[in-house]
Amino acid sequence: MKDRLEEFVKKNRAAFDDQEPPTGLWTNIENDLKLAPRQSWWNTLAVWRAAAILFMALSVGLFFWRSAPPVKKVDRVAMREFNDVEAFYTKQISEKVELIDDLKAPEGEEGFTQDFQQLEAMYQVLKEEMRTRPTQKVKDALVLNLLVRIDLLNQQLHRLEQSDKAAAKKEAAKGSSV
Amino acid sequence: MDQSFINVHEELIDRCRGGDRQAHYDLYKLYAKAMYNVGYRITRSEEDAQDVLQEAFVNAFRNLASYRGDATFGAWLKRIVVNKALNVIQKRKHDPIPDDDRWDVAEEDVTIDYADELTVDRVKRAINDLPDGYRTVLSLYLLEGYDHQEIAEIMCISESTSKSQLNRAKNRLREVLGERKIS
Repeated sequence: MKDRLEEFVKKNRAAFDDQEPPTGLWTNIENDLKLAPRQSWWNTLAVWRAAAILFMALSVGLFFWRSAPPVKKVDRVAMREFNDVEAFYTKQISEKVELIDDLKAPEGEEGFTQDFQQLEAMYQVLKEEMRTRPTQKVKDALVLNLLVRIDLLNQQLHRLEQSDKAAAKKEAAKGSSV
Repeated sequence: MDQSFINVHEELIDRCRGGDRQAHYDLYKLYAKAMYNVGYRITRSEEDAQDVLQEAFVNAFRNLASYRGDATFGAWLKRIVVNKALNVIQKRKHDPIPDDDRWDVAEEDVTIDYADELTVDRVKRAINDLPDGYRTVLSLYLLEGYDHQEIAEIMCISESTSKSQLNRAKNRLREVLGERKIS
């Protein structure tokens, strides 16, 4: 059965959406939502994940582009320094991982977990390298790995705290409305 | 359904969940115009449509936690808009929808010709002039793309009522737009 009306509407669908909402409407929505102030670009999780990926790429590069013969003797003092730094940061990392577990990460965290696990794996590889062929480059890479992981964790914690706050607000609002 | 299609705004939505204000605005810009028209078609009032749009977005953003991604974000948002718009006109209590099949009207099995050229303007005005019940079912079916099962669910009527309301609405439109039956 030919329905010209339906065909006509389908063909000109876009033209039926001719009304425009007023420009001030977004402001009203913003005010109702009470969103947190603008996050700095370099503070977003996406940027730090990108940094993590960049770090991993650099570490891979480190393996393939080793040029100078490895230096067997690393300065004892420098080694001790590094061990202190490592101990400090790994303690921080495990504390933050615990915190994140406590906050019961919601679904959709695969990207973050994947990155974190890959960083951990890279770290182990680098440590092994440090044991057999210690160089300043490897040491720097190890420290960078720790720092990136900590920042990633901080970002994740911040995100979880934010959504926790939002959920708590929602619960409070639910409780207070009829 | 294709996973990548459903989650086309997944990153944006995740950022919204994280409280990113810019992400909220970006998502708003993507859907505001379309959703505004959904509300306007049902309520026929700019003021009401604006209220509906504002409340729907606030509602959607506050409840992102409950958005599971099993329907597209647009579809999920549209349901919220439609429900709110329907509440508005139901409060006006002009034309209640008869929920019975006594006035079942079947689709006519003829070819319809329109005496005068169909234009978007004429069709829009004709739809706008329909009483609430006809206009709502017709908009939901023809313009928002819902099927009768969905319309029945949304409007709390039976599927057959939805079908008969649609046919009556189309018949009314044909009258208004000047039809001439051939064969």
